[in-house]
Amino acid sequence: MRVSTAQFYFQNSQQITQQQSNVNEQTQYLSSGKRILTAKDDAVNYGTLTGLKGELANIKQFERNITIAENRNSLQETSFQSAVNVLQSLKQSFIQANNGVLNEQDLASLAAVTENGLEQLLDIANSKDDTGGFIFSGFQTNQQPFVRQINGSVNYSGDSGVRELSIASNVDVDLNQPGDKAFLNVTNPTGDFKANYLANTSGISLESAVVQNRGAYNPAGNPYTFNFTSATDLTVTDGSGTPVFTTNSYAAGQTITFNGLEVELSGNPLPGDSFELQPEENVSVFDTVNDAINWIKQGTTPANSAQHNVDYDDILARLGESINHLVARQAEAGTNRQLIDIQSNIHKDNELTLESSRSDVEDLDFAKAVSDFQQSQTALQAAQQTFVQVRELTLFNYI
Amino acid sequence: MTVNLYQTGVSGLLSAQQQLATTGHNIANVNTEGYSRQRAEQSATDAIRAGGNYVGTGTYVADISRLYDQFAYREQVINQSNLGAANASNTSLTQLNGLLDSAGGAITGSIEQFYQSINSIADNPSDPALRDIAINQANTLATNFNNLNDSFDRIEASTNSEIEEIAKQISDLSTELANINGRILHTNSPGQPGQPNDLLDERDRLINQLAEFTNVNTVTDANGVMTVMIGSGNTLVAGSTALRVEVMPGDPDPLKTQVAIASDNTTIRLKQDSLGGALGAKIKFRDEDLAQARSSINRVSLVLSETLNGAQRQGLDLNRGQGASFFRDINDTTSQEARILSHQGNSNTFRSGIEITDVTQLPTNEFELVYDGANYQLTNLADGTTTNLGPQGAGTYNTAFGFNFVENAGTPVAGDKFTIRPNANSAALMQVEIIDGKAIAASSAVSVTPSDNNVSAGGINIVDVADPVAARAAAPMRIDVLENPPGSGTFNYTITDNTNTTSAPIAYTPPSQQIQLPPAPATAAFTVEITGRPSGQAPNGPEQFTIGDAFGTGNGENAKFIADTRDQGIINGGRENFRQSIGITTAQVGSHAKAAELGAETSQALFTQAFNRNQETSGVNLDEEAANLLRFQQAYQASSRVVSVANTIFDTLLSAVG
Repeated sequence: MRVSTAQFYFQNSQQITQQQSNVNEQTQYLSSGKRILTAKDDAVNYGTLTGLKGELANIKQFERNITIAENRNSLQETSFQSAVNVLQSLKQSFIQANNGVLNEQDLASLAAVTENGLEQLLDIANSKDDTGGFIFSGFQTNQQPFVRQINGSVNYSGDSGVRELSIASNVDVDLNQPGDKAFLNVTNPTGDFKANYLANTSGISLESAVVQNRGAYNPAGNPYTFNFTSATDLTVTDGSGTPVFTTNSYAAGQTITFNGLEVELSGNPLPGDSFELQPEENVSVFDTVNDAINWIKQGTTPANSAQHNVDYDDILARLGESINHLVARQAEAGTNRQLIDIQSNIHKDNELTLESSRSDVEDLDFAKAVSDFQQSQTALQAAQQTFVQVRELTLFNYI
Repeated sequence: MTVNLYQTGVSGLLSAQQQLATTGHNIANVNTEGYSRQRAEQSATDAIRAGGNYVGTGTYVADISRLYDQFAYREQVINQSNLGAANASNTSLTQLNGLLDSAGGAITGSIEQFYQSINSIADNPSDPALRDIAINQANTLATNFNNLNDSFDRIEASTNSEIEEIAKQISDLSTELANINGRILHTNSPGQPGQPNDLLDERDRLINQLAEFTNVNTVTDANGVMTVMIGSGNTLVAGSTALRVEVMPGDPDPLKTQVAIASDNTTIRLKQDSLGGALGAKIKFRDEDLAQARSSINRVSLVLSETLNGAQRQGLDLNRGQGASFFRDINDTTSQEARILSHQGNSNTFRSGIEITDVTQLPTNEFELVYDGANYQLTNLADGTTTNLGPQGAGTYNTAFGFNFVENAGTPVAGDKFTIRPNANSAALMQVEIIDGKAIAASSAVSVTPSDNNVSAGGINIVDVADPVAARAAAPMRIDVLENPPGSGTFNYTITDNTNTTSAPIAYTPPSQQIQLPPAPATAAFTVEITGRPSGQAPNGPEQFTIGDAFGTGNGENAKFIADTRDQGIINGGRENFRQSIGITTAQVGSHAKAAELGAETSQALFTQAFNRNQETSGVNLDEEAANLLRFQQAYQASSRVVSVANTIFDTLLSAVG
């Protein structure tokens, strides 16, 4: 084959340019440590890479949310734990107060202790988080949720809002338990109603009153009044005075059924005993504690000692229920944290898998890259040396 | 007549001189581009008959010809066009690939950052600092889209100036070619041997240059005059007449310039898709790759704006007002009218716009709308299908592509033609509309609380809030649902409004049904959906759901709703989220760039082959010329010796005589 001089130079320079561009490219890969610098380097895998990076960014976002959710829920958990402790010592003081040997001064100091307990409880219920918002006020985070009134009762000015954050694609976790759910919605130990005693000489008390058949129950009939004309004669009238249940053979412990309600009483009634049922599904922790304080404040000589004892049992039951309720709330925060933990572990596992896939796709195989680089370098050197040597081979050198 | 040894020697001398001159010419032109080596063709002069024998009389140079293989040359020209095209698209696409990689990455990053800030608001909606951060991030996001759009503009502008530069160079080449044609015509005398080799080489070199810019076809006539045709056969040079290539503004988009061949009184538009060479590649890049990437990015910005604006409208800001638009409204008049381009020759009075109705359905391609005198015909330029939108005068026309065509003013004339770009300009127009962080609608307006006494697996969810302020004002409301008689499958619900008025029972059909609230005749403000089988227990004990006012400074429900749009597939019929859509666009450009790079490598290899084949015949080899130099030098010396011998013979004769 005939080779022209121009062809020789053209090809040699092209070779060298090509090798130089190879070396330059390899240098870019080596210095960045990446195999895919732009989409052009591997368009197919670039799509995969976008997906992987997107997933990783998602996980990062979820992990940030997990940190927040974990903080919020553990703050709630701690608050409930403190509230349970306070309530338990309150309950002890209350039990202590029901002791005949105590004098007025002892009771007064117990009342003061209980009063302090209520203040502590309010403090906990009004606590704030790191952002300065009240943790138990639902969505109204800038509004103090619980305020004690002159008469001792506690008003709630938050709402039932529950904030949520996503901790995985389809998993949302609650950040807060609103104040009403936390402190106001304690299950009434006597069921759906509380008893309002009008006259009680025997010490009978409401054991339970529940709506057993909601279809037969008509809220318009409230309040139902129970009247014992003798130990065995019981008449129940509804709000408009119409009798809804009458018996002349009431036996202690008997279940009284009317209008979808089931009522059980304890104790042996005396003639003239009477009480009315008021619907109350939930009782507030604060009302219970407030009742306890008022009970202690009645001193050693209450107006009606039979009623006083009935009230004691009732308040004690409600205190117990309040503690149970707060323990349940604490457990709920704990369950949330557990959910968060599980999800966090799932994310960590996924992150590891995704990260290694990303690395497989994007990161440079250094061993191969270095060897490629050296190969290109050698090729460039060879091209240069060949050029120099062949260039000297000209006939003009000999004439 | 005797043999003249002197003459014979001198003829050898003269021939050797011409040979040496040609060799010298070859050596001198070893680096001249387009030069074909030349050779002096030597022939013996006619012999003289003497004494019954033919006695040679010497030599002469019959022709100095160039070594030229027209097939090899033709192949090189064709490959030069392909190489020009491949190199041009490789350069342009590599640039676009780099841009999308960096700018697309910046946009993806700022989308992430923005959503992160919204997510923080969902956790802590009352913090004004977090809200300000979100506004700042939104600004960065909009700026990144604006910047990418500016970069697209710059690439388009520089591609256009390259096209103009190429057109100018083609015109210059055309003039030179016509010039050479003229000179060849004058120097060539038919029937005479000898060709103006260097002029021919020069003309071939110019054709080669021209081939880099566009497809070239040539026809040479008997007089050696060449007719040059470019593109799909449009004459550029005819004899000594040169035509020009001019750049004209595009129709309807003036920035999509077109090239045309122009003489003094006519202008013919060239077929833009068969230009070939660098010119064709630049136009193709601008009208396809760049336009496609731009449209995809525009679509992301459009969908992102509308999605965030829509999510924002569902909630309440810190001042208890409905969330204002985050970004510029996608359907303001400027944006609507920017999406439709009127062709030249349309009636001037008619104005129209494109209103986006469903961002999930938006395609990235263009549409053509023609008014045929009675109806509007919409052609999808992606697949060529045509839809009849209906007669003129209806005002608004629905299409299946997520947009409406809207008549704004005037009436069209039959034959009026429009190009529709549904996503046009949205990246350029993207702009944050809210300044105050308080305006971020983090709070939801209403919430549904099921009663504690509910017993069955059924629920009510809020699916859409059209007017959060009115929704909040309508609260509290209660919805009672009951299956009566139990197990019959007959469900009814009642709505008790905030004046405690209860509606008549309305039938509910499982598995789900939407209810507009508050119920007519009041204006609906939000929509809830009953799902499942909320059976209830008895007429006195239905399933109860209370809808209450949910506004609160600590309510971040709507911020969470906004944040959740980050990962939703919204674009392209719900298949791509924002990040994916940008990734797909980048990958598409990347794969085109890779293909262009491979194409450039292949074209380079093919060109090198053609170049080599051509050089095999026409290229100068210095070693060969060095050998020739010696050969002809020796021939010259030998011929000189012949003269000297003739002289000696003559002297001998003279002395013999004398």
